[in-house]
Amino acid sequence: MIKYHPTDQLIEQFAGGLLTPALSVIVATHIDLCPRCQQVAHDAEQLLAEQVMHTTPNKLPPELNQQFNAMLEQILATPAPSTIIQPPYHENLHLNGKVFNLPATLARQYHRIGEWSRVPGKMLKAPLHLGSNECINLIYMDHGSRVPEHTHKGNEITLVINGVFNDEQDEYKDGDFVLLSQQHTHQPETRDEDCLTLATLDAPLHFTSGIARLLNPFSSLFFK
Amino acid sequence: MHALHHQHGTGQMTTRPIEAQASKTAEHLAALLAKVAANQCRGAFSELFQYFAPRLQAYAANKFGNQQLAADLVQETMTNVWLKAHLFHADRGSASTWVFTIARNTGFDYLRKNKHRLTDLSADELWPILAETNDSLNDSAHNHSALDDKLLMEQISSYYKQLPDSQRIVIELIYIEGLSQQEVSDSLNVPLGTVKSRTRLGLQKLREMIDHD
Repeated sequence: MIKYHPTDQLIEQFAGGLLTPALSVIVATHIDLCPRCQQVAHDAEQLLAEQVMHTTPNKLPPELNQQFNAMLEQILATPAPSTIIQPPYHENLHLNGKVFNLPATLARQYHRIGEWSRVPGKMLKAPLHLGSNECINLIYMDHGSRVPEHTHKGNEITLVINGVFNDEQDEYKDGDFVLLSQQHTHQPETRDEDCLTLATLDAPLHFTSGIARLLNPFSSLFFK
Repeated sequence: MHALHHQHGTGQMTTRPIEAQASKTAEHLAALLAKVAANQCRGAFSELFQYFAPRLQAYAANKFGNQQLAADLVQETMTNVWLKAHLFHADRGSASTWVFTIARNTGFDYLRKNKHRLTDLSADELWPILAETNDSLNDSAHNHSALDDKLLMEQISSYYKQLPDSQRIVIELIYIEGLSQQEVSDSLNVPLGTVKSRTRLGLQKLREMIDHD
């Protein structure tokens, strides 16, 4: 049972096409996993459509009217495309000797997954190349992994794709959408299970405790 | 049932049972789409175009602040309606919602393609409403295998212990004790330049150890 969801407002913005690419991907992936939010997104699309379509438009200016007439003719003359391009879809992710089943949004993004690299603490990460300059990564934590205690200079959103991780507050499982702001200090870790997550971060982490502060010069190795 | 109050009317609009009218319109629009899908009915499409084009124009002009870009969006959206009407499924939502989502996708791409390259995320990857087959989700299945279990802190400590003393001490004072490089220079009685180069070398070595682990 998914416990943490994006806010309805965030889903509405997603449905309106107003979110950035990284946020859109992470919200869409949550929606793949979450029937509740599927319904919220569906309702939001319907509501937005009603707002757009059920207003009576003002009378068109004559030049636009002309443009529309020409446009209609042009559209009616458009031939059906002879070949249909199927978008790439690849749902099996092989990682660390296992096969993960990617949610549909990520299966369509498979070609955007960059190279996997090691992160200290028995973790692996791969960037998702969306063509935006946002930072979004798939992060794999083996069982018994630990990210040192840190604060966020910006906001971090972590979506659990498969597995379990914990921090001081709670335990997060498949589909959980975890938003952490600057106020939070936290120390994510896995225990008996491993965990595949999708995370975006809008500023580097800042490690706070003991010897882990040594990692601050390398904080870009984590997630960036 | 209550009548909706219309705020965008032009003045001659009076209160009337809009909901009943709206649902009639919705059925009618869906029927028109079905005609376009079944036999490329030009009359049905023309009627759809008359209904949607001005509304989409207003939506997009508001979004982009540009009438020409808005007209491009109308053309691209309505072309897809013409060619892909067979992908509309009345049981999944209204005709208006379907057309809106095509317009939303087009607008999402317009906002990016102006600035970025062709490799950018496209709206179709987020909302594949125009894909000819729509693969459904599968339940995830994976097996777990046990691997070694060594904690991060041990790892870092072990790296750190491998550094030459001169570098380790400087890094310890700066990153664990929290001294400034000047303070380290003063307390160890070594030149500031030396502290800086030992810090740099030490960090470089740690990084190599992390990378090559």
